[in-house]
Amino acid sequence: MTRVVITGVGVSSPVGSGRERFWDHLVAGTSGISAVTLFDASTLPVRIGGEVRDVDFAGLAERFPEVMEERDRKIPLGLAAAAEAVDDADLDEHDLQTACLHVGVGLEVFALGDITPYADAEDIGRALADAVLNDGNGRVLQTPLDRIADILGRHLGVRGGRWVNCSACAAGAQVIGDAFHLLRDGDGDIALAGATDSMLNPLGLGGFSLLQVLSDENDTPERACRPFDADRKGTVLGEGAAALVLETLEHACARGADVYAEVLGYGASLDAYRVSDPDPEGYGARLSMSAALRDAGLEPGQIDCVSAHGTGTPKNDTVETTAIKEVLGPRAREIPVHAVKSMTGHMIAASGAVEALAAALTLSRGVVPPTINLRCPDPECDLDYVTEGARAFKGDTVLSNSFGFGGQNATLIFGKAP
Amino acid sequence: MVTPLGSDPERVLDRIASGESAVGEPSGFDAAPFDCRFCCEVTGFDAEAYFPENKTLRLMNRDAQLAVAAAHLAVRDAGLSIGSDYDAAEVALFGTTGFAGMPVGDVARLVRNSAGADGGLDLRRFGREALRRIRPVLSFKILANMPICFVSIFEGIRGPNAVYTPWEGQGARAVAAGMRAIRSGRVPCAVVGGCDVKTHAFAFITLQQQGVFRSWRQSGKGTVPGEGAAFVVLEERERARRRGARIRARVVDGCVRTTDGEAPSEALSAVLAGLGADRPDVVVAAGDGEPVRREAEDLALGEFGLQPGTVIRPKGHLGDLFAAAAAVQMCLGAAAARKLRAGRRLWVNCFGHGSEMGAFALEAV
Repeated sequence: MTRVVITGVGVSSPVGSGRERFWDHLVAGTSGISAVTLFDASTLPVRIGGEVRDVDFAGLAERFPEVMEERDRKIPLGLAAAAEAVDDADLDEHDLQTACLHVGVGLEVFALGDITPYADAEDIGRALADAVLNDGNGRVLQTPLDRIADILGRHLGVRGGRWVNCSACAAGAQVIGDAFHLLRDGDGDIALAGATDSMLNPLGLGGFSLLQVLSDENDTPERACRPFDADRKGTVLGEGAAALVLETLEHACARGADVYAEVLGYGASLDAYRVSDPDPEGYGARLSMSAALRDAGLEPGQIDCVSAHGTGTPKNDTVETTAIKEVLGPRAREIPVHAVKSMTGHMIAASGAVEALAAALTLSRGVVPPTINLRCPDPECDLDYVTEGARAFKGDTVLSNSFGFGGQNATLIFGKAP
Repeated sequence: MVTPLGSDPERVLDRIASGESAVGEPSGFDAAPFDCRFCCEVTGFDAEAYFPENKTLRLMNRDAQLAVAAAHLAVRDAGLSIGSDYDAAEVALFGTTGFAGMPVGDVARLVRNSAGADGGLDLRRFGREALRRIRPVLSFKILANMPICFVSIFEGIRGPNAVYTPWEGQGARAVAAGMRAIRSGRVPCAVVGGCDVKTHAFAFITLQQQGVFRSWRQSGKGTVPGEGAAFVVLEERERARRRGARIRARVVDGCVRTTDGEAPSEALSAVLAGLGADRPDVVVAAGDGEPVRREAEDLALGEFGLQPGTVIRPKGHLGDLFAAAAAVQMCLGAAAARKLRAGRRLWVNCFGHGSEMGAFALEAV
């Protein structure tokens, strides 16, 4: 069977952008959560988030001039991550031409401020159409979800197929899983797979706060996301992006590429329960993890670490813990289980990709990042959550979970570089 | 499927053959400012007719309601009992959704309660007034993956899945994902499809801004947006036979390519060349009223020696359903296959706006 490895990575995240900065802060247990500064959130019930603050937008615009026109933050965040991954993998023009592109994206963003000038019109749609269509300033009301795939495809010359995935919180893991299956099935040698999202806008933050899944501890933002803690109040919205270059092992070896990790397995499932809540029995989560194990040809006892979905919402963390224990059996209590979101917040569509990148670095650097803020363990969450700081890791495999709003679940399994 | 020309694929084919058209003026907004002033609406659709007294319908936007209805029809048409014929985890679900933009009426109150004295967005007012008046369920109506998640809930599907967006080429990717999942042995059955609603003012603004209506200004012809949803049940042949399924057609092959920068006819020729050497008796064409794509498709089909008489052109009759279009094309292809002798071929073309172009070869059984 064709083996698939990771040969390039790139990331934009609230704890730091760029592979080294991201990893240093993740291992140090640095929180990326703070008061929202991107807009005036002072009257919102939730006013904290994980903002990306260190992407060099001017530098990015030299490579992707379109960035200057973009109002949707997920576009530059994603482009920065993708550019870093491509550079890191040192792909040449031919490699890029034959590569396939798998992009995960979140929700379309429309700027409320474009519509409010017509709020008093009897027919808002007509007034808006008259204004926008005759405006001529080229300002697009709504950024299409395939925008970043188009920009990347055009600039990088990627011609091996483009997939635009909008599977919410599972998207980041699904794009990597889909790309992995494609290469393993023999349909190509290289894939650029990643995801990007930013819901840190008035409608995004406001909308999620209405769903009562966000922590409203506005005075202590760095402590607000506490996966697996008995006193957890909810997740924190973050923004970010990550991209991985996947390559067949044969192709990577032939060109002498450095390998971070191997992709061993991928599974996806649906809760088919409710759109608003995870299945309390965790059936979908179990299905996803079991499918990934089967796909990888591994037994539960061969998993050495779990990168949990770990959102910090009361429901997710107990359901996920139960599912991990049921799927991994006794092994669940022997291995570290950590939650990247304790530091980054929930980057929605991007989370799975950022956490996959963290899993690859866990394997290549031999360190498990900590779960921060877990001070009062929930009796129902009784695994080893790496609460005492980063830990040396000598294992061979990491299983990474992503469970999506609406009931979409995805699990990836990574192994040490061959 | 649920389309502007009906929900029974064979009946829709007949209506297309007899020249019926669903093209008309939008019923919900004034299209005067737009270069395209027509659309194709699904009239009289009531999701409760499919799922009586189901409270979950209230959480859904129209896209999702169309999706659950179409998926239900497809599963029923296949005579498929999920959980009995197949374990729920053995059934994959790959779908495509369009822009999540919603009818302006749905956000009017939000807009009015967020406007400042100068007409700009007053973020403080947004937090104090608008947000409090938003129903939390709005989130379920604007997330792009929700229609497909609702399908999973309504049909009890729990297998591998993905949601793609936003154009017909990504719809072709969803169909191809289902084929791949079955051929690789990962699942024996996949429900694939999509939904889209492009019949409201906000969608028209977005489409016009993205250049979809450009040809209307240039030539008075072009894409007519529509709404609808369609799903196809794909199964591993032996498993389908074993459960006594009525097989509508065999999917022989499929090809989806990225075509940026290529001349459209050359791009399509390359896609069609990926379908193998056997020439089809019928083609379900993807070209709509947009002249460049229509001519490109005719040219490409001409290269394969195909005559116009063998070509069905659904979009001229029921509009362009964008994210749902590939699945609509597949439904109509499967219906057309039933009118052919066993072994005869059809090609189903799936392309439109966006970089991806696909086609599938079906065989009558």
